[in-house]
Amino acid sequence: MTSLTATLAAAVERRRAVRSGVGATRPGLAWAVPATLFFTLFAIVPLVLVAVLSFTGWNGIGSPQWTGLANWTALWHDPVMLKSLWLSALLTTLGVVVQTPISILLGVWAAGHQRNRAVLLAIYFVPLLLSATAVSVLWRALLDPNFGIPSEAGWLFGDGNLLGTQSGSIGVLAFVGAWQWTPLHTLIYQGGARAVPQVLYQAAAIDGAGTVRQFFHITLPQLRNTIITSMVLMVVGGLTTFDTVLILTQGGPGTDTTISAYYMYQQGFLSFDFGGASAIALVLVVIATLVSLVMVRLTGYDKMNSTAEGL
Amino acid sequence: MRSSASVSRSRTSRNRVVRNRVVVSTLACALVAGVTAGCGSSGGSSASSSGTIHILVYGDTGNTVEKQIVDTFNKTSKVKAVLDTIPGANYQQKLQTIINTPQAPDVFFNWGGGSIAPFVKAGLLMPLDSFIAADPQLKSDFLPSVFNTAVIDGKAYGVPMRGTQPVLLFDNKKVLADAGITPPATWDQLIADVQTLKAKGKTPIALGGGDQWPTLMWFEYLYDRVAGPGLFAKALGGDPSAWASADSQKALGMLKQLVDAGAFGSNFDSVKFTDGGSPALLAKGKAAFELMGSWEYATEKAANPDFTKNELGYSNFPTVSGGTGDPNDVVGNTNNFYSVLKNTKHPDAVAQFLKLMYSDEFVKAQLGIGNLPTTTNTQQFLSTSTDPAYDTFQYNLVKQAPSFQLSWDQAYPPAATTAMHQAVQQFMDGKMDAAAFIKAMQGLPTS
Repeated sequence: MTSLTATLAAAVERRRAVRSGVGATRPGLAWAVPATLFFTLFAIVPLVLVAVLSFTGWNGIGSPQWTGLANWTALWHDPVMLKSLWLSALLTTLGVVVQTPISILLGVWAAGHQRNRAVLLAIYFVPLLLSATAVSVLWRALLDPNFGIPSEAGWLFGDGNLLGTQSGSIGVLAFVGAWQWTPLHTLIYQGGARAVPQVLYQAAAIDGAGTVRQFFHITLPQLRNTIITSMVLMVVGGLTTFDTVLILTQGGPGTDTTISAYYMYQQGFLSFDFGGASAIALVLVVIATLVSLVMVRLTGYDKMNSTAEGL
Repeated sequence: MRSSASVSRSRTSRNRVVRNRVVVSTLACALVAGVTAGCGSSGGSSASSSGTIHILVYGDTGNTVEKQIVDTFNKTSKVKAVLDTIPGANYQQKLQTIINTPQAPDVFFNWGGGSIAPFVKAGLLMPLDSFIAADPQLKSDFLPSVFNTAVIDGKAYGVPMRGTQPVLLFDNKKVLADAGITPPATWDQLIADVQTLKAKGKTPIALGGGDQWPTLMWFEYLYDRVAGPGLFAKALGGDPSAWASADSQKALGMLKQLVDAGAFGSNFDSVKFTDGGSPALLAKGKAAFELMGSWEYATEKAANPDFTKNELGYSNFPTVSGGTGDPNDVVGNTNNFYSVLKNTKHPDAVAQFLKLMYSDEFVKAQLGIGNLPTTTNTQQFLSTSTDPAYDTFQYNLVKQAPSFQLSWDQAYPPAATTAMHQAVQQFMDGKMDAAAFIKAMQGLPTS
């Protein structure tokens, strides 16, 4: 949707440019062919195939058998599916709630010119350089109840049964996610905070506003679009979380961290029920689309009003 | 995870980091394969026309022997064998995507039982009865309890081609000596040992509950000791009433008793075998016992060689008084098997190839890399193995076993594995009571 508006705006620009005689070599439709082909082949076609598969029973051997709505009625009555949607929502919300304040504070701090800032920042960004798989394997080892951190800090972790309880394993997933992704959002906020015009702070300082007041009345409002960008990334990332679950909890204990994306993998590639897995995949596609539409509408992201108006 | 469980079982923690990385990359491949059905075969172009047979095996360190056997075969055969490997944990997934395509191999590695049952049902596999009729040794030279794993509906579909992996009760000799106990011969003795060890501040039994399949091993042995192999066979045959029987209830009650006695500590669901957590508990003397497949020995040897040499003990699972199962029964992974595609263009060459699986060369080569073959001629070479005492113990155990129960998650079709693992875990950590567990097991697909 946003890209559409952007394309339209660009087209209008180009038409103006042509009319005014600047940039006479306007790119033709042919320029869009590679991207369109790629997108059709790897996004649209699989999506349609998945939609078709969701009405069949297929275990990967032989040809799919048409089963009508069987997968969908089964999914409707499947308590694990409903639970997985709640878990996905919970993990996504936890991600946003935990990461946003930390990365805003870090990002705003990083936008300054303090001593040692560059060195500390370089250290903060290390998690970003590691693959999600490596991060998960690392934390899995660090959180071992008998030989990891919990065994040394019994006062905090009790018997260390972090991954054996639902609250514990959700906490671990949220924590590892935050550990890994906060640096990225810090980077985004750093850029946003750097772009805030200094005159605003100078004016506020003259009016006697302290650091805290400046933060709440200048920095935060000025970061509005940055916050939206960062949150959209967090929500999309949260809904598609998979690797950390695969390695840290494998959906367990029981089905207590079986989020929708992992449930889809389980049904498809562990149980070889590709029909049922396709139905879950479609549900995920629909929900993710709805969530992004709502977010774009609610936040005014599609308009992208400048925060620098009147300056 | 079914296949990765079986894999991690056989190949242990040495490869675990690699494995995890591979899981993700193969997943991407598998996602594509799900749509295009054309991923994962390494060079399976029209196997037949060029006078070759393709042998597909799980890719790991054991491939040296498979390569050697293929070379031996090619020395005398006009039809040449080509060894293809699928590395990584997702062997079963990839096999599933290519088995009904032109890329399918002629002969492939599998775990018998539920891992080939869907292929048999789909009419893709060749019964080996005619091969066996022409060469009876293809059956008679293997231990029957192992060979039977790949018999489906009375027909043989596989020939054992690696080593057997029975589940044993491993112990830390030093911890046992300090507590003044010996490996338990009976269940009651085990319960008493648990109390003794707890009083000493030890976790009596190490359990990698996070992997789920180590937990399943306790169910497999207890059900067999209490009810014999018949109960599970009945359930797998499609009669769900077996799970609700008095014997089933009794086995569950005993397990509950063991958990409630604190035998596994309280944080076993956060511990894994595959990342080395539970083997370390045993090796470092924090725990006294671990019920694990025979690969525990290789795992401990790689991570803690001194411990393995001096303090690692092993015994058969204790007997249960009043149980109808034979105390000599074992459970575990009986062996890996070669099965043959019905579509192969060179059945005669395949038959010749399979004969090598009971040859002296095969047995010596397998023993050389630490696998324990299940042929009748294995016995005469046991002294040449890397760990003769250990291999002799295992071999005799398997040979004397009236029944060798294939791991439940291998015996059931892949579609049942996830639900089975979850039920086992939830019963063990108290989230499911016996009634809910029985209901969950009754809901598993059996075909």
